[in-house]
Amino acid sequence: MQPDERSFRIALTADRYMNPPAGGLDGLAVLAEAGWGVIQLPAEDYPAPVAERILAEVADQVREFHSHGYELVVVGESGQLDGALAVVGVSVPDQVIPASAAELRAFLAARPVPAALRGR
Amino acid sequence: MSVSAAYAWVMGVAFVAHCLLNQNSKVAEGAHCAGVYSPVVDVLRAKGWRIEQMPCPELAFSGLNRFWAVREQYDTAAYHRHCQRLAVAVADVIGLRVQQGEDIVLIGIEGSPSMGVHITSSDPERGGRPRWPDGTPEHTDGEGIFIEELRRELENRGIGFPRVAGETHALADHDEAAQRAALEATLDG
Repeated sequence: MQPDERSFRIALTADRYMNPPAGGLDGLAVLAEAGWGVIQLPAEDYPAPVAERILAEVADQVREFHSHGYELVVVGESGQLDGALAVVGVSVPDQVIPASAAELRAFLAARPVPAALRGR
Repeated sequence: MSVSAAYAWVMGVAFVAHCLLNQNSKVAEGAHCAGVYSPVVDVLRAKGWRIEQMPCPELAFSGLNRFWAVREQYDTAAYHRHCQRLAVAVADVIGLRVQQGEDIVLIGIEGSPSMGVHITSSDPERGGRPRWPDGTPEHTDGEGIFIEELRRELENRGIGFPRVAGETHALADHDEAAQRAALEATLDG
């Protein structure tokens, strides 16, 4: 059995940082390098019913991570995420809308140790 | 309805298993890396594929403290209904992309009771106190339950099932180079 290598750190990430336009910031690459897991938020131009269904599933997953002390952040615009999280009783995590890879790296580096890891 | 195809040079859209972008969702002792499983993402990036993450059916249903499980343990009416609901959300997006004529692939997790695309896990006897020897043979040909429900949902909508590739890290004969070649072949069609 190999050791479990999870980071207990997850970024709820806007689509434009997952699938950046030409010249845009590749947030996924920065998050991967920094050891963060990613939950993708729906693209801004998805029809509202489609985005709502995706966000409801995202919220269910976020609640599980939140209740187990994983560190959560939002990268980019979060759309209707606040409403979906309210349904499961979780507030929107701290957010960054980075203009550069350096800004995103600095934000991630300044995050606290996940509660799940404290005291280990 | 037109949806974004803004990625610098989009060859198509890859719908990837949740855990390939978030190893934190894995069952305990199952995370192979800190967060993003780069071998798959690197290939998608190099070939210019848009990424769409599918939800993790097991995480939302059984939580982070779930036990390792085989397909039979999830093969319940309630879990199928859960996967059907998730499949609707994924099929919505696949439908939007297909309407635009975009090429679609689906990347699952071989050996998974939910996300296997060619290989799932099976042990009809497993249950009760969770103990079994390491190396117990459980992998078998077949699809996981979510993949099965997604296939059904797409069929109901008249959408053909996409080409599939499977990440093989959980298999005893995992070979990263072979996996990469298989993924590239799937993307290339």
